[in-house]
Amino acid sequence: MKHIVYISRAVRPLSDRDLEELLTQSRRDNARNGITGVLFYSHGNIAQLFEGEPAIADSLFERIARDGRHSHVHKLIDRPIAARSFTGWSMAFHPLEPAGFATLEGFFLPHHVPALPETLSIADAMLVELVRLAVFGADPTQPPQAAPPVQLGS
Amino acid sequence: MLRGSRMPNIPFSQLLRQLPAGVATLEGPELRFGFVNEAMRALVGENAEGQPIAQHPGQLPTALLDVLPQVYATGKPYTAKACLCTPQPAAKQDCRYFDLALEPYSDEQDQPAGLLLLAIDVSEQEAARQQAHELALVTRHLDARLRVLTETAPLITYTSDAQGRCIYASPQWYRFTGQPPTADLTAIWPLLIHPEDRLRVLYEAETARRTGTGWNYEYRLRRFDGQYRWVLSRALPEVHPPDPPVYWHGALTEVHDQRELADALRRGEAELRFLADSIPELIWTATAEGFIDYYNRYTTDYSGLTKDELGPTGWVSLLHPSEQAEAARRWVQCVASGEAYEGEYRMRRLDGAYRWHIIRARQLADGAVLRWFGACTDVHDQNLLRQVLQTQYDELARAHHDLDTFVYAASHDLRQPALNLRGLFDELRRTATFTDPEQALLLGMVDGALTQFDNTLHDLAVTVQTQRAQQDPVEVLDLGLILEEVLLGLRPQAIQREAVLDVDVAEAPGLVYGRANLRSVVHNLVSNALKFAHPGRPPHIRLRSYHTPDGEPVFEVQDNGLGMEMADSSNPVFQLFVRQHSHIEGTGVGLYLVQRIVRSHGGHVKVASTLGEGTTFSIYWTRPA
Ligand SMILES: Cc1cc2nc3c(=O)[nH]c(=O)nc-3n(C[C@H](O)[C@H](O)[C@H](O)COP(=O)(O)O)c2cc1C
Repeated sequence: MKHIVYISRAVRPLSDRDLEELLTQSRRDNARNGITGVLFYSHGNIAQLFEGEPAIADSLFERIARDGRHSHVHKLIDRPIAARSFTGWSMAFHPLEPAGFATLEGFFLPHHVPALPETLSIADAMLVELVRLAVFGADPTQPPQAAPPVQLGS
Repeated sequence: MLRGSRMPNIPFSQLLRQLPAGVATLEGPELRFGFVNEAMRALVGENAEGQPIAQHPGQLPTALLDVLPQVYATGKPYTAKACLCTPQPAAKQDCRYFDLALEPYSDEQDQPAGLLLLAIDVSEQEAARQQAHELALVTRHLDARLRVLTETAPLITYTSDAQGRCIYASPQWYRFTGQPPTADLTAIWPLLIHPEDRLRVLYEAETARRTGTGWNYEYRLRRFDGQYRWVLSRALPEVHPPDPPVYWHGALTEVHDQRELADALRRGEAELRFLADSIPELIWTATAEGFIDYYNRYTTDYSGLTKDELGPTGWVSLLHPSEQAEAARRWVQCVASGEAYEGEYRMRRLDGAYRWHIIRARQLADGAVLRWFGACTDVHDQNLLRQVLQTQYDELARAHHDLDTFVYAASHDLRQPALNLRGLFDELRRTATFTDPEQALLLGMVDGALTQFDNTLHDLAVTVQTQRAQQDPVEVLDLGLILEEVLLGLRPQAIQREAVLDVDVAEAPGLVYGRANLRSVVHNLVSNALKFAHPGRPPHIRLRSYHTPDGEPVFEVQDNGLGMEMADSSNPVFQLFVRQHSHIEGTGVGLYLVQRIVRSHGGHVKVASTLGEGTTFSIYWTRPA
C-alpha cells in the first residue's frame, strides 16, 4: 500500500460539468481499482491524495500526469503506508451551481470536508492541510477572489 | 534572302495572308505598300495597298519611318525590338509591342526593288519582361533591406548548407572574430569555438542537419581580442516541402553578460547552500505554500534521514510525539497568515535522543516569489543549564527561608529568657543593696546591655517579618494618616528629647504602597533621626512628601542631628549591624531594613549628610538608582 500527493494547475478552468464528469469517472474507476483518497479543486488549483496498491497507484499517477486537462503536476510525496486512511474517493470544490451537487456521492463543499483520519501521520495530515490551504486559500468557506499563487518548489 | 528560295506548291500568298505575323512589301523608291497581309492590316489599316508608307504610316512608329530611306539605299537589313505601336487616338490598353524587321529585296538586275516589312507582336513577352523588371526592382529593394538589416543588426547572421559548410556570415562575424574577409568560414569557425564546447556544438549541429530541424545552443566563441564570449546560436532550416532542407539560416547573439550574471546567481546560490551546509544548525527553506524544498546537510546528519525521507513536511515527525500536533497546527496557521513561526520543541536525533530546539521561520521575498527561511537552534544545553540554575536557585531560596525561620525562632525563643533575665535583674536591684559606687556603675551597664539585647532580638524578629511581608498587598495610602499613626507610636521618645516635628504631605498626599512597609520605613527613619540627635540642640525633624519634576513621588526626612560620614551619597552602605555612632544605642538593623524595603519595591534611598549638622534621607519610591 502506498499513497501519493501531488498539486497541479488546470490548463483551463474546469466547469461544473467537467468536474462532475471527472468525479463520476474517477469514482467508478477508483472503486474498481481499489483507489481511495481525496481531490481538491478551486480556481484552477488542483491537489490530490490517493492511496492504493503500489503498481496501481503508480500507473494511475502516470495516467493523471499525462492528462491534458492540467499541467505543472508536482508530486509532493510518494511513500509506502501501513494501511489506508480513506474509505472512498471524493472531491471537494465550489460548484458555480451548488444545487445540483448536494446529492452527488463523493462530493463535498471545501468547508465540509470531513476531518482528516487519525491514521494519517501528523506530517502527512499537515501536508494535506497545506495543499488544502494552497488550493482553497486561508478561508475555505469563501471561494478565493483570485487564485492563490501555486509555485512549485524548484 | 528571299531570293532564290523555292516557293512551295501551296498558294504562297494565302500562306502569307494567314501568318500570325504582319507581312507587307514596300515597293520601289517610294516604298508603296504592295502586299499587305491580315495581321499587318491591323497595324497599317485597311486599303494601304498602293500608298507610299510615308503618307500612310498607320500605327508604325516614326523611328521606323525615319530609317526607311537609308535601309532602301544601303540595302542593309534593319530590325527594331519591341517597338511601341500606338493607335490614334491612343488608348492605353491598345498599346502593342512589335518586333519590326526591314529586309531589302532586289529585282533581277540586282537593283534595289523594295523592302519586306515584318511585324511580330511581342506585347505578351514585353509585358512579361516589364513585370520581370519590376519584380527585379522589388527584389533589389528587399535585398538591399535585408542586407542593411543583416549587416547592421547587433547580431551575427549566417547560412550553412546540408553538408555543414558555412556559406555566408554577415560582416559582424568578421568584426567579432577579427578574421579577414577571405577566411574560410567552414574551416575556421569550429577552431574559434572554446575547446570545451566544440565537440558538443559540432555534434548538435550535425544532429540538427541530419534530422532536418533547427538548433538552439550556447557556446563560447573567441573574440578578436582572444577572449572567449558566450554566444547564443539559433538556426532554422529553410524548407520547401517535400524536399529536405538545403540551407540553415541562423543568428548568433552575444549573451555573455547575461550568462555571467546567471552564473553569478547560480554561484551565489551555491555559495549560500555551501554556507548553509556548513552551519551546525538545522536550516531549511520552504515554498510560499509551506512545503519544505531544502534541508541543509546538518539536518540530514542530525536526523539520519535523507531529504527524500524527510519530504515536504517530514520535519514535524522529528519532533517529540507529544509536540507534533501543536507544531503542525502552528505551521499551517503561519503559512495561511504569513506570520513568523517560532516554537521550542524537542527534536529527535539520529541516536534517538530528543534535544530541545528553538524553531524559527520567516517569510521573505526571494526575488519575486515568497519563500520561508527556517532554522532550528539547539538550546538543549542552555535549557539544561537553566534547569540546573533553577534548581540551585530554589535550593538557595529554601535555605534562605530556613535561615529566616531560624533567626525568627531563635530571636523569639531568646526573648523569653531575656525577659526573665530583665525581671530577675530588676528584682535583684530592688532587693539587694549595693554600697560600692563601682557596683552602681556596673548595674547601669548590665541594665544597658540587657536593653540592647532585648532590642536586638526585637529588631531581628522584625527584619524577618518584614522580609516575609514583602508580598504585602499594595493600596492607595493616605500618607498623612500613616505618618500620624507612626509618630503617635514614637511620642514618648519625641517628648523625651523635646523634638520638633514638621509634617508636610500636601504636595503628594497619596502613595501606592504596602501599608506595613510604608510604616516600617517611616518608623525607622524617624526613630533614627530621634536617636542620632545632636546633644547640643533639640531635634528638629522635617517630614515632606513631594513629586520630582518627572512626577516621581519622594519622601524626605531631614534632621539636624549628628550627621554621618558619607563615602558615596548616592550609594550609601546600609549593612546589617553596621552602625555609624557606636556610642548610641541601636541595633543597626533599621537603615538596612529601609534600604531593603525600598529597593525591593523598585525604588532607592538617597542620603545627604554633614557631620555635626544633620542628615537628609530621600526615599524615591518608584525609580531605582
Ligand atoms: C486532476 C485530475 C485527477 C484525476 N484523478 C483521477 C483518479 O483519481 N482516478 C482516475 O481513474 N482517473 C483520474 N483522472 C483521469 C485520468 O487522468 C484519465 O483521464 C482517466 O484515468 C482515463 O484514462 P484513460 O483514458 O487512459 O483510460 C484524473 C484527471 C485529472 C485531470
